[in-house]
Amino acid sequence: MNHVKLLFFATIRERMGTKSLDLELPADLTIHGLKDRLSADYPKVKESLKSVLITINREYAFDEAIIPLNAEIGLFPPVSGG
Amino acid sequence: MTFNMQHPNLPTIFSITEDEIDLNDLLAQITLASTGAAAIFTGMVRGETSRRGSTQANAGDEHQTEFLEYEAYIPMAEEKMKQVADEIRARWDAIEGIAIVQRIGKLYPKTPTVLIACTAAHRDTGVFEAARYGIDRLKEIVPIWKKEVSPSGEFWVEGEYVPKAGE
Repeated sequence: MNHVKLLFFATIRERMGTKSLDLELPADLTIHGLKDRLSADYPKVKESLKSVLITINREYAFDEAIIPLNAEIGLFPPVSGG
Repeated sequence: MTFNMQHPNLPTIFSITEDEIDLNDLLAQITLASTGAAAIFTGMVRGETSRRGSTQANAGDEHQTEFLEYEAYIPMAEEKMKQVADEIRARWDAIEGIAIVQRIGKLYPKTPTVLIACTAAHRDTGVFEAARYGIDRLKEIVPIWKKEVSPSGEFWVEGEYVPKAGE
């Protein structure tokens, strides 16, 4: 198993009702697999996940990426700083 | 202040802060003996959004803003600000100092929220374009968000840019 930390920001943080979540994931799970699992376990964020940006260890990551051990994973909407 | 490995003598400042943005202090930190020009962009909270000066995309979106509430993924945001500074130096090699600062928390109309400043020996070095590039890239890849609170309710401002691999 792979112990990861999820960090939520902006709309997805509000919908989750928490800033972070620690999860045990199967080894070699991809970002796509993680999204499927979150959609199933947290239906309230299913819509948000369609346009979510995801980071692994503070770099942008995409569906096919395999989640490394002890990763810090960020989930958030397109950014709006300035 | 941190120094870029490729440019050990050139000051590069990047920070997310809850404190007031101090333009004079930042400018002093990115001014070298050889500096003769600085281009500074700063954005502030707009209290009234009117048709005047609006683009077609937001025409008719007239409203009042009570305040904006900013949040950031701070360690990643600072890393991405450094990346923006590196991209500026790769495009405009005459740039001397760079400061990129985003203020977060609850910010009221007329308050500066962001500052991008670039310095160079002269004004015709690309220094204006470099500052423009800096604010454009910050709005694309630096993980910061804002929620607008107005008399008619609150809503998150969401960007549109989807970063590509390696950004």
